[in-house]
Amino acid sequence: MATTEATAAPGLLLPPLTPEDTARSQDRSRVHRARRHSRRWQLLWLLVGPGILAMLGENDGPSMIAYASDGAQYGLGFFVPFIPVLFAMAFICQEMCMRVGAVTHRGYGELVLQRYGRVWGWFGAGDLTLTNLVTLVAEFISIRVGLAYFHLGSGVAVALGLALVGFTLSGGRYWRWERIVLGMALFNGLFLVAAILVKPHVGAIAGSFDFSPFPGGSFNTLLLLLASTIGATVTPWMIFFQQSASADKGMTPRDVKHGRYDTAAGAILAAIFGVGALIAGAVLLGHGGSGIEGFAGAGFPEALRHVAGGAVGTVFALGLIEAGGVAILTISASTAYAAGECVGVSHSFNSSPRNAAVFYAANAGIALLAATVILIPGAPLLSIALNANVLATVLLPVSLVFMVMLANDRGLMGAWANKRSTNVIGITVIAFVGLCGAAYGIDSFLQTIHLIGS
Amino acid sequence: MNTQAPVINDAHRGPGIREQDLQPQERFEDELILHLERDQFVAETSRPVPRATLSARATAGLWALRVFVVLVSLMVIYTFIEQLN
Repeated sequence: MATTEATAAPGLLLPPLTPEDTARSQDRSRVHRARRHSRRWQLLWLLVGPGILAMLGENDGPSMIAYASDGAQYGLGFFVPFIPVLFAMAFICQEMCMRVGAVTHRGYGELVLQRYGRVWGWFGAGDLTLTNLVTLVAEFISIRVGLAYFHLGSGVAVALGLALVGFTLSGGRYWRWERIVLGMALFNGLFLVAAILVKPHVGAIAGSFDFSPFPGGSFNTLLLLLASTIGATVTPWMIFFQQSASADKGMTPRDVKHGRYDTAAGAILAAIFGVGALIAGAVLLGHGGSGIEGFAGAGFPEALRHVAGGAVGTVFALGLIEAGGVAILTISASTAYAAGECVGVSHSFNSSPRNAAVFYAANAGIALLAATVILIPGAPLLSIALNANVLATVLLPVSLVFMVMLANDRGLMGAWANKRSTNVIGITVIAFVGLCGAAYGIDSFLQTIHLIGS
Repeated sequence: MNTQAPVINDAHRGPGIREQDLQPQERFEDELILHLERDQFVAETSRPVPRATLSARATAGLWALRVFVVLVSLMVIYTFIEQLN
């Protein structure tokens, strides 16, 4: 819990080292050396990871399709500045997760379960499993859409996704897993390349930062756009993932400053790449872009090829494969952390599969389950993909409330507890997310049962 | 000036062992231990944190939010199923 300089010292009685401790300590020894020799860039390199992975992991297949759809339907306008605003909101939430993980050395799931009771812990884990399963199906669809551009089918998408999970799990070290996924995540920049290749009008992009034109259409469509765009930016899995990964990485209160850099860098990169996808999609405005139903066939890459050239289509397709692949790894990891934490068994990439069977089984199992769904003939993949973000938005407020409660818990956090300003912003974010999700859910339901017109 | 080697107390070796008497593996473990905070050890994190006491208002608020979220989720799922039909 809240210990600032509690580094183990000679003379203290210490528990025996487990293999997990040994692996984590080896990573920490490099951090200590870099700090002792004032190697600032090396220290930053060693401490970045969970923040960038959470943010770029959330720039997943459905999210990039959602941004491109916004661009294709409305062009440059409201959503260009709205995406950075959402990632600023995500930074507020994720910074709290990182701080709680670094100070308590415990994951979100286990803290909620132990601090507030099993009912709340299991509710949170249940929400996470449901949204993660739906989102993972959408990630496999995203890979499939990307591969379809290269005339490859579902079987290849499933094999690729599962091979990635198997490969990254094989190392038995958090550091290895993190660096592989981080390396892959940087290819999210392909969406920025796609945006540059379509040669956008820079003045039009700059001009859209006054949040205009505001998207037109029906109230329900606007709510859907807001809910799915919010769901593309802040989701329950990010909360579980970043807190648990920060603890697994071995971060301490001394690393909180670098954790903030990491989270801010992730938010900035994710916002830039997200806007890149929107700009690329915006070239389809007036070329039938609004008619592309997200995941229908190989919609966006093919349409971009026709309108902006083969290079744009290829880069966008590769971007979708990358986005889906990275998200499969991070979302599966968040499920594994939650499973291990709630069951109360070892939950670390620094543990071997033998010592952390539940963790590894949950990680591979949920990916396998999602992969199986996309192989079912006639499964409603398009609807699943489109509703994944909305469901995440609806379930998010409960996770955020507990996050704020943990970050305010002085018994756990001591001097690292939230400041009043952080609470004001955090509660505003929760209220905004909750209202948008609830408004969409209720409005759609009332339309479905014909109590109100569309 | 103190010329004695530092004494390292260790739970699994017992107190009073001089540093030069340690085997290479034991030195390696001691160096590693120095890089972890005490509450980072698996043995420490395996110990549950004490339960917080929530006020009746806070508990009621959390249940209200929980019920509300479940209801809205059911609405989204119902709408999703209707769209499929």
